Amino acid sequence: MSAKAHHNHGPVGRVEDARLVTGAGTFAADWNVPGQLHGTFVRSDRAHAEIVAVDTGRALKHPGVKAVITGADAVRAGYVKPMHTLTFPGKGGMQTRAPERPVLAHGGVHFVGEAVALVVAETAEAAQDAAELVEIKYRDLPAVVSPEEALATGAPQLHENVPGNLALEVEVGDAAAVEAALARAAHVTRLKVEVTRVAPNPMEPRAYIASYDARADSYTLHVCCQGITTLRRHLSAYTGVPEEKLNFEVGDVGGGFGQRTPAYPEHGALMLAAKQTGRPVRWVSTRSEGIACDTHGRANVINGALALDREGRFTAMRLDWVNDMGAYLSPASMGHIRNTTTCMTGVYRIPALYATYRVALTSTNPVSSYRGAGRPDIAYTVERLVSQAAAELKMDAAELRRRNFIPPEAFPYKTPTGSTYESADLPGLLEKALKLADWKGYAKRRAQTEKAGKLRGIGIATVIENTGAGQAAKDEVELELDAAGNLTVYTMAKSQGHGHETTFATIVADALGVPFERVHLKQCAPEKQHRLQGNHTGGSRSTVGAGSVCHLAAQKLIEHGRAAAALDLGVEPSQVEYADGAYRSKESKRTFRLGDLARSKPVSVVAEGKFGSTFPNGCHIAEVEIDPGTGAAEIASYAAVDDLGVVINHGVVEGQLHGGVAMGAGQIFGEHVVYDRGSGQLLTGSFMDYYMPRAGLVPAIRGAEHPTASKVSPLGVKGVGESGCTGSLPAVANAVMDALAPLGVGHIDMPLTPARIWHAMQDARKGR
Amino acid sequence: MYSLSYVKPKSLKDAAAFLAKNPEAKLLSGGMTLIPTLKARLARPTHIVDIAGLKELRGVAAKGGKLVVGAGTRHHDVASSTVVRKAIPALAGLAAEIGDPQVRNRGTIGGSLANNDPAADYPAAVLGLAATVVTTQRSIAADDYFQGLFATALREGEVIVRVEFPLPKRAAYSKFHHPASGYAMAGVFVAQAANGARVAVTGAGPGVFRWKAAESALAKSFKPEALEGLALDSSNFNNDIHADREYRANLVRVMAKRAVAKLAGRK
Repeated sequence: MSAKAHHNHGPVGRVEDARLVTGAGTFAADWNVPGQLHGTFVRSDRAHAEIVAVDTGRALKHPGVKAVITGADAVRAGYVKPMHTLTFPGKGGMQTRAPERPVLAHGGVHFVGEAVALVVAETAEAAQDAAELVEIKYRDLPAVVSPEEALATGAPQLHENVPGNLALEVEVGDAAAVEAALARAAHVTRLKVEVTRVAPNPMEPRAYIASYDARADSYTLHVCCQGITTLRRHLSAYTGVPEEKLNFEVGDVGGGFGQRTPAYPEHGALMLAAKQTGRPVRWVSTRSEGIACDTHGRANVINGALALDREGRFTAMRLDWVNDMGAYLSPASMGHIRNTTTCMTGVYRIPALYATYRVALTSTNPVSSYRGAGRPDIAYTVERLVSQAAAELKMDAAELRRRNFIPPEAFPYKTPTGSTYESADLPGLLEKALKLADWKGYAKRRAQTEKAGKLRGIGIATVIENTGAGQAAKDEVELELDAAGNLTVYTMAKSQGHGHETTFATIVADALGVPFERVHLKQCAPEKQHRLQGNHTGGSRSTVGAGSVCHLAAQKLIEHGRAAAALDLGVEPSQVEYADGAYRSKESKRTFRLGDLARSKPVSVVAEGKFGSTFPNGCHIAEVEIDPGTGAAEIASYAAVDDLGVVINHGVVEGQLHGGVAMGAGQIFGEHVVYDRGSGQLLTGSFMDYYMPRAGLVPAIRGAEHPTASKVSPLGVKGVGESGCTGSLPAVANAVMDALAPLGVGHIDMPLTPARIWHAMQDARKGR
Repeated sequence: MYSLSYVKPKSLKDAAAFLAKNPEAKLLSGGMTLIPTLKARLARPTHIVDIAGLKELRGVAAKGGKLVVGAGTRHHDVASSTVVRKAIPALAGLAAEIGDPQVRNRGTIGGSLANNDPAADYPAAVLGLAATVVTTQRSIAADDYFQGLFATALREGEVIVRVEFPLPKRAAYSKFHHPASGYAMAGVFVAQAANGARVAVTGAGPGVFRWKAAESALAKSFKPEALEGLALDSSNFNNDIHADREYRANLVRVMAKRAVAKLAGRK
């Protein structure tokens, strides 16, 4: 751990919370601009069809309607080719086959909910009424919603330029070495696991206003997003509108989880409408539109094999992935392959690794990054394999892990798939977690549970994930100082509830030794949007990246003022020392306050940095109780020990972990997007059918930190945004499997709903 | 939402008169089902007739061996009423388990019964307790009132005024919440009265129904074990992505047993 503490000047709680929890935030639907019109999208009610004709005549005649934009307009404008990030070569040099996607469907629709037309009217009600008058004639085509079925011979062909619905095939690792190791293994554990398709469901629905300035030929979009830089890049690529002609306004954002990162077709369609009508066009999504059309997450099926020698040491692992990307490639889908490759070995020394990926297109909503973007998927797969191996070999699940950890002295550790894990103390982490969870006392707790007529299980997961590195060339932060000594920090990182205003201001206050109250954060400020570069907030990277640059900017400001301070103090710059908001010199009795630098005019510095990956890791231990009568499972206890490097604000970090743990537990116990196999209709289109975790799902989490040093950034921090669910997916699932194992239940896939658990128990009883 | 007119009558009489003249008007009470339905454009009434403020529809009273609950009484008011808790604690407990605090502070018993959602809780209590639904036109016995999926004996323009519950010797409700919606995936209301036991089931099938085999068994022996191995026709039970018929049938059995077990030792 870095010796330097970074939380001297920060608050205990979060400064943004009073605003956010009292309804004083400004979210995207709170924006209104003069002269605005209102848009409603007409969406496909079928999964796969040819569009024979679109008749907008009746809708256009409806009172108040100003325009109906269709796929023909999208094609005419050239808004047809969204960016994607599967840009690396596949197996045998294969190039990704990406279907075009006009911002409004043209020629055909490929999933239920795809936008076909945009009705624009003086009021939202008029637009909604007129949307029902748009007549679309379809010719139905067969749909396929399962990625494995989409790749099978004889499946309906969904896009002309994607033969066999296979967008990309990738292989990594050493196939021959793995095959050889599997052949001579003392034991091989094989599992097929599904990491289900889920709907991220941020609390805030999407809302945008697009305005067009004819004189400047530029657009301004009011949005909810995770940062404007990535959105701008995506949207520019999609529409061909140069980045400097795209301006953004963004206020508070109510959750993102990766889903608020990419450019969506709706952005482009609203731009077309704004240009055509000459007036701003506003759209606020409904919750049902959000579930159907905002990108989904996960959706991977993995066949895994883990080879062990006689001593229970892992010798090889093979994973064969099918990645369901939905109907089109999202601009942020690389994580499914890149992140799962980066962390394929988990926290273990596995000498031989090999994985294949088959990226499938289906008749479903596109899949993109979702809290972890592959990291929880690989952690779940590896940790299920390891716990299953322990169960098969009748070994203690902690001992099997201990035996296979990458030892502390092996860090930095280069993995067989080419990434370099920075630092970790896995044995120390494990021992701390076992103690925190009272691993030894488990038998007693289980006996108590059984006495009450229930089943109890314990599950462990030891996980690691890459955080930090972003795709932007660099992160820039501007720091502005006024005569009163107030500091304004400008970042391109954008909180969606994370607490940047607390964390980043603390970093600056600490570096400058000034009271926290003097430091104010402005994220994605319109006046800086074309001046500063930087990553959006996603991939657990913002404190590592933008946070570190906040620190560098503060140091730069100190250096910047040294000469002026020396002049004022009448000494040489080398004789000036800076501490606690002022320059001093032994040679002078006076001090020169930081604010004095800005006496005549505000002072501003811009700092930059680019940082690599750092690897938070953790050991999570969950216990569950299962009601055998109903199959209902409850989390009875949860302990988490995490190596997050240096922590700036413990409250913020705990909040991230707790939210992540609950999100992962929600996926294990219920969250699941389901499409009808035959028709491709969405069966979980509202919260009546789409399970969301509730506050009572996860009881008090016992947490502890076990930091190891990170040298990736000057702060020594590691990412935390995704750690919670990376740990909880496997820990909770392993606990349920452990509870069911004595009944003879093998692996069952998430979601572990009461019905699914109950059926597994019945099947085991009946020997089915 | 489609364009519609909003009407706020001053009395139940005015409301009934308005409904009689406007067959496509809809009553609005708590709005916990109607408002989402309107927002989703799944209903297109000409008017909504807001009776939520009518005091004559609200209130709880125990009189003449009966518990009387006004149709406009909110779930929270039933759940927290000392009168209900004393007269039929199972009814207060059921009301306390409906939806979430927001729903319980808006939704009403009359609204729930008029809608007759197949997974609603109140129908199980009304049928299980052999209550009487009193309307602006007549009194309807629970056994005649519920007629399957969202269907009731109510005629056009007929408004529920109150529900009269005869006091049972003892009663209990056990509910298994639907993991997504929180509605009853299976809810079983068991009541023991002077003239025998009644067992009403909600959530599992297309509408609330009585499990008569269980009633006969409990009449002989009011114990959870009496329900072991009893016939239960699940052929019309819901079968969907959340649970199949077999699982729902199991839930009915388990919830029934748990309801009876709750009453062990209680007279």
